[in-house]
Amino acid sequence: MDGRIIVITSGKGGVGKTTATASIGAALALQRKRVAVIDMDIGLRNLDVVMGLENRIIFNVVDAVKGKCKLKQAAIKDRRIDDLFLIPASQSDNKNVLSPKDMVQFGEKLRREFDFVLMDCPAGIERGFENSVAAADEAVVVCTPEVSSVRDADRVIGLLYARSITPKLVVNRIIPEMVEKGDMLSHVDMVDVLSIELVGLVPMDDHVLISTNTGIPLVLQKKSKAGEAFQRIAMRINGATDLPIEVPQSQDRFWKKIGSKLGLGK
Amino acid sequence: MRKVNQDRVPVRIKGMGDGLCVTLDPAQPLSHLQEELAIRFSQMKNLAVNARVIFDIGEKDGYEDLIEELGKFLRKTFGVGSVSRFLRDGPVSEEIIRKRDMENSWYHYQSDVLMLTGRVRSGQKVTARKHLLIMGDVNPGAEVLAGGDILIMGSLRGTAVAGQPDNDGMIVLALDFQPTQVQIGGFVAAGLPPSSKKLPEFAHVENGTIVVEDYLKADPFGRLPWPQVR
Ligand SMILES: Nc1ncnc2c1ncn2[C@@H]1O[C@H](COP(=O)(O)OP(=O)(O)OP(=O)(O)O)[C@@H](O)[C@H]1O
Ligand SMILES: [Mg+2]
Repeated sequence: MDGRIIVITSGKGGVGKTTATASIGAALALQRKRVAVIDMDIGLRNLDVVMGLENRIIFNVVDAVKGKCKLKQAAIKDRRIDDLFLIPASQSDNKNVLSPKDMVQFGEKLRREFDFVLMDCPAGIERGFENSVAAADEAVVVCTPEVSSVRDADRVIGLLYARSITPKLVVNRIIPEMVEKGDMLSHVDMVDVLSIELVGLVPMDDHVLISTNTGIPLVLQKKSKAGEAFQRIAMRINGATDLPIEVPQSQDRFWKKIGSKLGLGK
Repeated sequence: MRKVNQDRVPVRIKGMGDGLCVTLDPAQPLSHLQEELAIRFSQMKNLAVNARVIFDIGEKDGYEDLIEELGKFLRKTFGVGSVSRFLRDGPVSEEIIRKRDMENSWYHYQSDVLMLTGRVRSGQKVTARKHLLIMGDVNPGAEVLAGGDILIMGSLRGTAVAGQPDNDGMIVLALDFQPTQVQIGGFVAAGLPPSSKKLPEFAHVENGTIVVEDYLKADPFGRLPWPQVR
């Protein structure tokens, strides 16, 4: 196999990298791709928790990279989705135990084994970022509609370009009501500044928290708007580039639209 | 064979600013001057490439043909840049300069402008020795610095620092002027009111403060009667 390694990064912390990695990974696996998601947040692992796999961890990414175990031993199969594997972070090490050079070599092994490898990058632009990006062919930058998040995303985009990686943008945690009132940055303004290809808009959604607590993947939850958005993002990454981007709408606006069609609500 | 006068060095070269000043005696035969120039320029090797060459033939008038011939020779043989004649101060030279500038000699003028295309992103910093021209945008968190003017053909949302270290006469211009901060020479303007107009505006120093104005309305350079080097 000649898989694609995609780093999910943001600069700023807490914007949804781990959520995006788990969800896009699950969605790609549901599209019959062999997928590995790798927690690169060495020392602060949490992708395993989000995926409900923490009690199955025996080996971790540091073991696999350092050759203390085989790649297959470190890759934990998901409980619900067949072609999805998690390579967890180690909780005890520090980010400096890995080097970008190690990761480039490890990347070769991963590409042979999987169709898609998603790297869940830690926040910041230091060693953890360097390690996550080293082996990547592509990048998805996650950004929330906040000035500080846009600033950090922009910084990271510059660093990715410097490594000849052309990143794509996911805007997460959109609250349509606030955007409509002008209280939240709109994705249009964000794309204006960041000027990279947009691959998806993800609304704020309580199902994200439910998913973390129950371990049921977001993309398997029937009514999750965020889950749907991540599925569409996965389809776009998997080649459906002309799939239109859906802009999250407020419930309010939805009813108003119907109202005006019926000639009501004036 | 004709004997060359040995007490006079026929060709002398010295650096002048970022150019080379060539002092020569125009009374010498062309072939001899060429030989002498060839010896000295080949010693300079790559330094001569693209160099600005100024001929100084002293107080004498005329010799335009000679200078043109030698200029051609240096361009062809050593790849020098522009070639011009050193003009002594005086009422005549001002007119000559103006006339020269208005005609075709801009062609050989070597500019100090750093001209870039593309987007400058957060955390990136562009520094120009003299003027800076960017065809593109400057994002929030990005910094552009220049010894001279800063012209942004796009939107300026980051920090622009012009006229460094102490030239208050410089401007910062952008087609969409929304900088986080502007500095000109020793003056700083932070917290400029955001203008949502998307008009070409520029900042300059007036009476000890930075002022922002509509560029087309103020037309600060339209009043100059003829084009001149900035
Ligand atoms: N679309 C969403 N709707 C609601 N909550 C969300 C959404 N996306 C993320 N969250 C919540 O935001 C928090 C941070 O998300 P997540 O852990 O994925 O971010 P991260 O970028 O990986 O953070 P870190 O930088 O700490 O690794 C979590 O509590 C998550 O449940
Ligand atoms: Mg995370």
